[in-house]
Amino acid sequence: MDLVWRVRTAGGRLVGEPAGRVDETTWEAFSAHLTAAVREASAAGAPLILDLSQLDYMSSRGLRALTIARREAGAQTSITLAAPNARMREIFAISRYDKLFAIVDDVDSDA
Amino acid sequence: MLVRFWGTRGSLPVAQRADAIQAKIAHALVAAGGRRFADEAEADAFARANLDFAAYGAYGGATSCVEIEGADGAFLVCDLGSGLREFGIDSVRRIAGGHPPVYHVFLSHLHWDHIMGFPFFGPAFNPAATIVIHSGHADAETALRRQQEEISFPVPFDWLRAKFQFVVHPPGQPFDVAGVTVTLVAQHHSHDSYGYRFEKGGRAVIYSTDSEHKVENMDAEAAFEGFFAEADLVICDTMYSLGDTVSLKQDWGHSSNIVAVDLCHAAGAKRLALFHHEPTYTDQDIQRMHAETVRYEELVRADRPQLEVICAYDGLEVAV
Ligand SMILES: [Zn+2]
Ligand SMILES: [Zn+2]
Repeated sequence: MDLVWRVRTAGGRLVGEPAGRVDETTWEAFSAHLTAAVREASAAGAPLILDLSQLDYMSSRGLRALTIARREAGAQTSITLAAPNARMREIFAISRYDKLFAIVDDVDSDA
Repeated sequence: MLVRFWGTRGSLPVAQRADAIQAKIAHALVAAGGRRFADEAEADAFARANLDFAAYGAYGGATSCVEIEGADGAFLVCDLGSGLREFGIDSVRRIAGGHPPVYHVFLSHLHWDHIMGFPFFGPAFNPAATIVIHSGHADAETALRRQQEEISFPVPFDWLRAKFQFVVHPPGQPFDVAGVTVTLVAQHHSHDSYGYRFEKGGRAVIYSTDSEHKVENMDAEAAFEGFFAEADLVICDTMYSLGDTVSLKQDWGHSSNIVAVDLCHAAGAKRLALFHHEPTYTDQDIQRMHAETVRYEELVRADRPQLEVICAYDGLEVAV
């Protein structure tokens, strides 16, 4: 399954929308899109929201791409993970990434 | 091949204290619910069928030592952690039964938890024994000799009676040891570590411990996917959660359960053994980590065949 990436701005926030699956075949594209979005958000002084509602799941490759993005973002730009499906919620819990990232139920909610 | 785990704990040996044993017994008595058993065999059968491993078993606390049985007339053993003492005693029993007193040791690296069993390895005093130490480190002999210097231990290395040989191998170049083909791979760890691939009769076992798969270096993982390719059993350092390896415990030299699953999936490996357990973990903690890893494998399996995830414990034997 391919990974599709869209990005939009909404209410002063940059929203990245990955769709599909992030695994060993798609993580590099995901990481490249994510890093570009972090830079765009930083330049605009906007927080970055990742709308995960269309994401089937991500493996450890995707999670580690999130860590790379977090390092790129530094202290100035916040990254919030929004609307993960049940499978992604389990993966965040098992990996303990739920302790590293803010995760919200709804894309429009304030993290 | 038959893989026998003599030590599975990471970093430091641990022992169960009375309160841990008491909790297991109390748990079992509650689970029995007033049942009567004619004898201990009947009670054992009930407990096996009804209690989980953390209640009716224990993962053990000896540090890294894994035997690979199946070579021609020689013992093969990965690492010399505190589990080595028991292996040494058992090998003496087997030598009495006719097994040749020949040992091939494969060292992942020279950190204390991987060599601390050596001063207590009885066969080192057997003048009829041959002990070949294979490693990727040129300073393996120094590490073993230094550990027996007077400041640390009363018996110097030179008092040992077995015939010793130290062999240093470059990664990626297969060599034969008693009918088993062995290959090393370099791993990311303080002072370096090496993983081993053992092949015989179309079967492959991987021993890969104390190996950090770093976030900045995911491209390098193709090498591990190749090294693990189609393996029947992959023994992997799964000491921490992924979250810990990218935050607090970054650069501590260890890997996570879920990276191990992903590498095995990509490699088409058949079975993963979780290994080098965190010393602060209780049996319940290790069992939970195992259950979570099994679940993670299911969540990211997609259309691949199932990767069987087992959790190594001291005393486990796995036929390959
Ligand atoms: Zn270790
Ligand atoms: Zn180590």
